[in-house]
Amino acid sequence: MNATLEKYTPKLMVLPTFLILLIISLVPLIYVLGISFTNSTIAKPFNDFIWFENYKKAFTDEVFGTSLVNTLIFAFTVTTIQTFFGFILAFAMQRERKLSGVLRTLALLPLFTPPVAIAMIWRLIYDPNQGMLNYYLTKWGLTSGVIPFLGDKSLAFPSIMLADIWQWTPFCFLLCMAALQSLPRDPYEAAMVDGASGWYVFKRLTLPMVAPQIIVIFLFRLLIALKVFDLIYMLTFGGPGNSTQVASFYLYRVSFKQFQTGYGGALSILVLILISVLATLLTKGREAILKRVE
Amino acid sequence: MKKLTYVMSLFVVLAVLLAACQPAATPTEAPKPQEPAAEVAKPTEAPAEPAAETSFAGQTLRFLTIQPHNVAAQNLATWFEEETGAKVELIVVPYDNVIEKAVLDVTSGANEVDVIEYWYPGLGTMVENNVLENLDQWYVDNADWLKADDFFPVYFDTFTKIGDSRYGIPYDGDMHLLWYYKPLLEKYNLQPPATWDDYLTVCKTITEGEKGEAYGCAIMGAKSPLILIGSYLNRLGSFGGSFFDADGKPAINSPEAVAALQALVDESKYALPTPSAVAFDESLGAWFTAKAAMVEFWTDLGSMTDDPASSKIVGQWGVVPLPKGPGDKGKTVASVNAGFGVGVSTGSKNKDLAYAFLAFVANPEIAARYNTVVGGIDPVRKSTLDNPKFVEFVGAEVADAIAKAHANAVVWPTDAKWFKLQEPLTDNLSLALTGEKTPQKALDDTQKTWEEILGQ
Repeated sequence: MNATLEKYTPKLMVLPTFLILLIISLVPLIYVLGISFTNSTIAKPFNDFIWFENYKKAFTDEVFGTSLVNTLIFAFTVTTIQTFFGFILAFAMQRERKLSGVLRTLALLPLFTPPVAIAMIWRLIYDPNQGMLNYYLTKWGLTSGVIPFLGDKSLAFPSIMLADIWQWTPFCFLLCMAALQSLPRDPYEAAMVDGASGWYVFKRLTLPMVAPQIIVIFLFRLLIALKVFDLIYMLTFGGPGNSTQVASFYLYRVSFKQFQTGYGGALSILVLILISVLATLLTKGREAILKRVE
Repeated sequence: MKKLTYVMSLFVVLAVLLAACQPAATPTEAPKPQEPAAEVAKPTEAPAEPAAETSFAGQTLRFLTIQPHNVAAQNLATWFEEETGAKVELIVVPYDNVIEKAVLDVTSGANEVDVIEYWYPGLGTMVENNVLENLDQWYVDNADWLKADDFFPVYFDTFTKIGDSRYGIPYDGDMHLLWYYKPLLEKYNLQPPATWDDYLTVCKTITEGEKGEAYGCAIMGAKSPLILIGSYLNRLGSFGGSFFDADGKPAINSPEAVAALQALVDESKYALPTPSAVAFDESLGAWFTAKAAMVEFWTDLGSMTDDPASSKIVGQWGVVPLPKGPGDKGKTVASVNAGFGVGVSTGSKNKDLAYAFLAFVANPEIAARYNTVVGGIDPVRKSTLDNPKFVEFVGAEVADAIAKAHANAVVWPTDAKWFKLQEPLTDNLSLALTGEKTPQKALDDTQKTWEEILGQ
C-alpha cells in the first residue's frame, strides 16, 4: 500500500497543474486549430467547414509573407543588439558595487513603463515637426531638413527597432548581470595567480562559463520579440506601405478588423509552427555550442 | 519522437472533428449594397416616453464612446444624470477600435455595454453580428418628438439604415472641409483653392517659399483606414469616381479613381513631412502652430482653432468646401469621413435605461446643447444650422460652409463586407504614397482583391 502510494503521489501532486495547463493552453490551441479549417467570422465560429482553404490562401497572401519576413528581421536584429549591449553593459558594471543598485533601478524603469506609454514617448520624439529628435538634429546642423522617421519606408522599421532596443536592452542587461555574478570565483583567482591577462581571462573563462546563460537570454528575448505588437500598433500601424507589417499585427487586423477569425486562426497556426521550428533549431544550436565550449 | 507525432496527430484529428461537426456549409454570396444582414435583431418594444420624464435614480448605464468625443460624452453623462438620476459610465476607446470593441462585447457574451457610439461604415458589420437593436418600432413610437425629417438625409439613412430597417440615430455629422491659414496665403498672394490643381499650386508655392519653416498643406496619410481612405475619398468623390458602380460592382480602378490617387501622391510631395506618418495629432499640431497653410478637416475645427489655450492662429483662418475635381465629371464634394451614430446594444442588461439614453441623445434640444460646446460633435439636424446659438458658436462662415456641403456629400459604404474591403484599400493607398506601387497598380490590385472578397 505504502509502495503504491509512494509511486503515485508525485503524479497525483502534478495532476492539478497538468490539468490547468491542459485547459489554458491546449484547449485554446485545439479551438484555434479547429476554426482554422472553417470560414468562421467573429459571430459565427465554426461556420462552413472548408478543409485547408485558409492555409492555401495564406501561402499566396503577399502581405502575410511580408509580415513573416519583417517579423524575423525585427526579432533577430533587436535581440542580437540587445543581448550584445546588455552583456557589454553588465560586464562593464559587474565590478561597480557602489552604483550597481542605482543602475539596476534605472535599468528597470523602461520595463516598468507601460508599452503604450513608451510608444507614445517615441512617437513624440520622432514627430517630424515638433519632435525632439528632429529639433536637435536641425539645431546642431546635422541635418538640413526634417527627417520623417516614421513616414519613410526605409527609416520606419529601424526607428521602431531603436525604440524596442531602448525598451528591452535593460532586460538583457539585468539577466546578463545576474549570470555574471553567479559565476564561481575560484577559476578567476587561479587565473590571477597564474598571471593571465584580462583578455585571456575573458576569452577562456568568462565567455565559456556564461555562454549557456547568454544563449538562454537570447532565446527568451527572441521569443518575446517575435510577438512584437504594441510599438507597431502605436507608431506606424504597419505602414508606410507594408514596411513595418509584422505577423502579430497582421493577425490582429485579419481577426479583429476584418473579423475573419477562421483565416486568422490558420495564420496563427502557421506562425506557431514557424516559431516552434525556430525555437527547436535554436535549442539544438545551443546544445551544439555548449558541446563545443565543453 | 513517435510519442510527439501521436500527440500532434491527435490534436489535428480533434480540431478537424471539432470543425467538421458544425452545421453544413452555406455558399457565400456577394453582398448587395445596403442589404439587410442574415441575422438581425428583432424589433423590440421600446419605451415611448423621452428620458426626461422617467426616473432611473440609482441605475447605471454604460456608454461606449470614442476618445475624441470623450468631452461630449462626459457632458451627455452629466446632463442625463441631472435629468433622470441615472449614472452614466463611459467606456472610452480609440476611434478605430470602437466597432471591434462593440462586436466583441456582444459576441463574447461579456455584454458590458448598453449604448454604443459607432463609426457608421461599421454599421453593416455590427448588424450582421447582431450587435445593435432594431429600432423600427422605436422610430414609430417616438415619431412625434423625434422629428426624423429634421435629420440631414445623408446622415439619417447612411448612419442608421441597413436594408429597410434602422439600427441607430445620427449623432455626429462629420464632413471634411478645407481650412486655410490666411496669413500664409496672403503672404504669397494666393486665393483659397477652388480646384485640386489650384490646391497643388498653393501647396507647392508655400512649401517651396517657406523652406521648411511651414508647409503649404498637411495631408493625413497615416496607415489607418479612417485617415487614409478619408483623405483619398476627398479626391475620389470630386474627381467623379466612386468605390462601386451603379450595380454595386467594385470600380476602384476607374480612370477617375486612378487620377484621384495620382493627385494625392503628387500633392503629398509638397505636404507636411510626411503624409505617411501624419494622423490627426500631427496634422492638428502643424495647423495650430501655423506650420500648415491648409488642412482637410472636420467641421468642428473652427471652434478648436479659436481656443487660445491650444492654438496660435486664433481668428486667422478661413474655410471653404473641398476643391473641385477636373474635367466633365469633376465636382465639389463633402466627404462624410468619420460620422457616428448611436444605437442600443443587443447585449444591454438594462434596455429601458438604454432606450431612455438613446431618446435623450436624439432629443433635438439636447442635440442643440452638445453641438454648441467644444467636444467634436457636429450637427446632424437641419434645424441646428438655423440655431443662432450654433451659428454664433461656429461662426457664420463655418455654418454656411456646412450648409453648402450637405448638397454634395459623399459617403463610405456601410455594407457588412466593407471592413474586409477597407484593409486592402488602405494597404494599397499607403504603398502608392510611398512610391512602392504606381496609383494604377495600387488600385488594380485593390480591385482584384475586392472582386475576390466579393466573389465576383
